[in-house]
Amino acid sequence: MNATPGIDLAAIPERIQSEVQRAIQRSIKGVEYLSSSGPSLGSTPKDILHVRGTMNLYHYRPVADEIYRIPILIVMATTNRGYILDLVPGQSFIEFLLKRGYDVYMLDWAAPKPEEKSLRMEDYVLDFIPDCVRQVQRDSGETDVTVIGYCFGGVLSLLYGSIFPDGPMKNLICFTTPVDFREMKLFQNFADRRYFDVDHLIDSVGNVPPEMILSSFEMLRPASRAASQVQLWENIWNDEYVKSYRMFDRWATDTLPLAGEYFRTITRDLMWDNKLYNDEMSVGGRKADISKIKVPILHAVAEHDHIVPYDAAKPLIPKIGSADKQEVILKGGHVSLVAGANAIKRLWPKLDSWLGERSI
Amino acid sequence: MADKSNDPVALWQNMVGEMEKGFNAFANQAMASPQFSKVVNQVGGATAGAQKQLGDLMEKYLVSMNLPSRSQMVSMAERLQSIEGQLNEIKALLHQVHSNSITSEGGHAGAPKPPRTKRPPSADGEQK
Repeated sequence: MNATPGIDLAAIPERIQSEVQRAIQRSIKGVEYLSSSGPSLGSTPKDILHVRGTMNLYHYRPVADEIYRIPILIVMATTNRGYILDLVPGQSFIEFLLKRGYDVYMLDWAAPKPEEKSLRMEDYVLDFIPDCVRQVQRDSGETDVTVIGYCFGGVLSLLYGSIFPDGPMKNLICFTTPVDFREMKLFQNFADRRYFDVDHLIDSVGNVPPEMILSSFEMLRPASRAASQVQLWENIWNDEYVKSYRMFDRWATDTLPLAGEYFRTITRDLMWDNKLYNDEMSVGGRKADISKIKVPILHAVAEHDHIVPYDAAKPLIPKIGSADKQEVILKGGHVSLVAGANAIKRLWPKLDSWLGERSI
Repeated sequence: MADKSNDPVALWQNMVGEMEKGFNAFANQAMASPQFSKVVNQVGGATAGAQKQLGDLMEKYLVSMNLPSRSQMVSMAERLQSIEGQLNEIKALLHQVHSNSITSEGGHAGAPKPPRTKRPPSADGEQK
């Protein structure tokens, strides 16, 4: 019976009943939500291979009967924890790689301690990454290593690859890696050199506090946190939604502090002088020109990335020296690109087919 | 199937989504101005400065009370970290020696690592 066009009157009682049931469920699940701790993240079995200060190197235990010759070293962004790539079974990039027969290592970062405020860009690029690569070589018995860098981990990997172009990096995969920092427009404005006194900040606080990093990310979309909480309440009856919300929310708010000197270099050399894009970057006195990188490279970028806009990531492929290079633009945002439903359907299989033939 | 354009729940959800987008766009526009940067950095700078002054004051106070100051605790932490680092190196070394000995005895930890012989599906026509 349709008395009014567009309104199905017969469906109204059923809809009311469904909404009442959901309201009851919301109350019950709301209490459950507050009293439980959420899913356990990053639980794929792994061994700690090497720990030094802020640097942690993990080796994930292979699950395939036969693995590819070249091991993978994942370099995480220095602002966030690596478990975004290992959320829960079925939604874990690491688990996917292991099942597809890769030998996976991860360079993950712990919060730098106050006494590590003097860590510089060269400590990351010329010490931590090469140290981890050596550990991977020793543990795997292989000389070649594939490097995968996520976000700023991609920038570190690019710097490493451009300073050591003759190896042992055999393949490079970057996820949402900025190269042209002028195009990170809001971050540029937050760090406007006329008003942002980076020296005063670092000299005052030592390491950049995680709250400041988190606020700068959240300021890019200031209404999204409130809106996501409204959506959570609406969907709190839905266990899958709540599980997913908790995973991503926990990760997003689990931000790391940044070592002071390292942050000073990021601000001065990358944000202000855009040295990576202008081919003027050097690390510890060694020129880091990404056109020197000749290994096969895959760059995956997200269409709706609000943290690293496409225009900031776009110049990577044109600028890099490799003949075998490819950019993949996928729907999604900065995080959903690597860990969301689209990642499972699109990015991971694409990466597997690209990397498999380059890992033998 | 109910018409979504008349479903109050769908309308509400849509409205929340649109409000979020609208507010984000508006805020992004406001935050792109130099005035915003100036104000935020003035406030941030003042906060950081106040934090430093308070830290300095506390340091003097703790010295006068004959209590360890933050910088002294940090230097202790540095020494502890160095000891921790050396312990980790020893642990890694022990782990390596242990693994090697088990490998030679054919134990569990020495269970052979999978062979590095995998080929991509396209190379031999099937997924291994």
